[in-house]
Amino acid sequence: MDSTTPWLVNMAKNVITVRNVSKSFGKVQAVRNLSFQVESGTCFGLLGPNGAGKTTMMKMIYAKCTREKDSDDTLEIFGYDPIHEELAIKYLSGVVPQENNLDEELNVVQNLMIYSKFYSLSAKVARERIDNLLGFLELSEKRRSKIKELSGGMKRRLVVARALLNEPKLLILDEPTTGLDPQVRHLIWDKLRQLRSQGTTILLTTHYMEEAFQLCDTVLIMHKGEKVMQDTPQNLLKENIETFVLELPAGDLARTIRGEGLPSQIRVERFEGTTRLYCDSFDELKAVTTRIEGSQYYLRQSNLEDVFLKATGRALNDKQ
Amino acid sequence: MTSSSERPYPPLRKRLFSVWYRHVRVYTKNGFSNALPPFLEPLLFLAGVGLGLGRYITESMEGLAYLEFLGTGLLVTTSMFTAAFECTFGTFIRLEFEKVYDGMLAAPITVNNLIVGEIIWAGSKGLFFSFAVLCILSVFGVISFADGLMAPLVGFLTGLMFGALSLLVTSFVKTINHFNFYFTGFISPMFFFSGVVFPVSNLPKFVRPFAEIVPLTHSVRLARSMCTGRYQISLLLDLLYVAFFILVVGLLAIRRLRRRLVS
Repeated sequence: MDSTTPWLVNMAKNVITVRNVSKSFGKVQAVRNLSFQVESGTCFGLLGPNGAGKTTMMKMIYAKCTREKDSDDTLEIFGYDPIHEELAIKYLSGVVPQENNLDEELNVVQNLMIYSKFYSLSAKVARERIDNLLGFLELSEKRRSKIKELSGGMKRRLVVARALLNEPKLLILDEPTTGLDPQVRHLIWDKLRQLRSQGTTILLTTHYMEEAFQLCDTVLIMHKGEKVMQDTPQNLLKENIETFVLELPAGDLARTIRGEGLPSQIRVERFEGTTRLYCDSFDELKAVTTRIEGSQYYLRQSNLEDVFLKATGRALNDKQ
Repeated sequence: MTSSSERPYPPLRKRLFSVWYRHVRVYTKNGFSNALPPFLEPLLFLAGVGLGLGRYITESMEGLAYLEFLGTGLLVTTSMFTAAFECTFGTFIRLEFEKVYDGMLAAPITVNNLIVGEIIWAGSKGLFFSFAVLCILSVFGVISFADGLMAPLVGFLTGLMFGALSLLVTSFVKTINHFNFYFTGFISPMFFFSGVVFPVSNLPKFVRPFAEIVPLTHSVRLARSMCTGRYQISLLLDLLYVAFFILVVGLLAIRRLRRRLVS
């Protein structure tokens, strides 16, 4: 590709620019005034419960879904608006949809060959890339296998390989590892990190907090179509939640503990029978556990899931 | 790569070709089981209806022996059936069950490219099926291979017509069983009343205009005259009808199906 192609010029910093973008399906507003930017070469995660609007936002980016046109909204990918230039965007991007949609009638290599035509790759280039990609995703031994013979993890890796056929500058993944076993999940994470280090920009949706934490430079938490918060995973943790959590599964333990009063720096949250005590100091929480010696409790470092539950308002805050 | 630096993606013809290529590869994957029926079906039909029933039909139809009359009609009914099946059940399964289109639309093709590619594929199948009938007809000496060589082109056009129409029908269908109405209510009657098994002129007077409205009648007329070399100026009207039908129904199908493919 020559250096005068517009995406190179436009790419400068942000690969994706989303400003005031909305989308409704009938009366349901799936995405509401969403704004964010994805910098070139970074991994950006859309995080949220089912129905938060993550997939809709993604589909608007590759024109599978059309946004509600508004006078002051902006949606640009490599400087292209999906409403007018969907082909340019799709040519520069690879998409891993939520569902594996492989051609069951064909084998592994044939599935990829068909897609190489969509990018007008010559047969020679296509064969080379397919060999490399199957190697990269550890599927070389399965090249002649039928799709039915593949495990869920292999199918997922094949869909990722398919998305990489045209050496995309932007890789879009909708829940890349949902339903996969830990080995495959770590393998896919590893490959995604390699791609990012080679300069590929990655946009992914997930509801696995660990996935977001492992991969993303920036995480945007969505709830009911809106942005709740956005930051690096580390900052989200640091600024939104105390460092440690004490989880008490049984209600009577919570009563025992609270009966004796709690230091003011401990925040208490109760949700469906489980009580959680948050505090920046490990020692404070440890001291509290002496009151329930011998009972079941779980004292751990807080994680992105705690932030997420707090942000999306699942838990009832006891102080409210 | 395109010469214009504004377009870093494949040109239209390559995009349409890639959709068509996908269907060809999937179809030829089961080469034997897919290629045999188009040859077997006309064989059975000629044997059962033509030889069996045909022995009792001594009267010529539009100046043709019955086998010739029926055979030249079968050249396009086979295209009709294959295109109709492909773009109803086939399309619906790709759309709703296999989600094949979701994957394809993530590649650099538009919804319009996808649907037009689908119609061209239906036309290609029509061409192939029509060619298979031609082979059988010429093997049994019903018509000569050389005379019928233009007929598969009509098969292609018939495939385009019924591909477009069936996609339009599919755009309305919510469950796969609804296609039964289309086949029993529209496709099958057309087989019997479009001048395939007996001339349209034998239909009651008030029914004849209906026969002129439906697409198959025009395909049959075109195919039959191509095979017999009896051309009339009125064939231009048939050709015009076919072109108009493909264009209008094709555009409607694109408009309607688009809503199911892009939200």
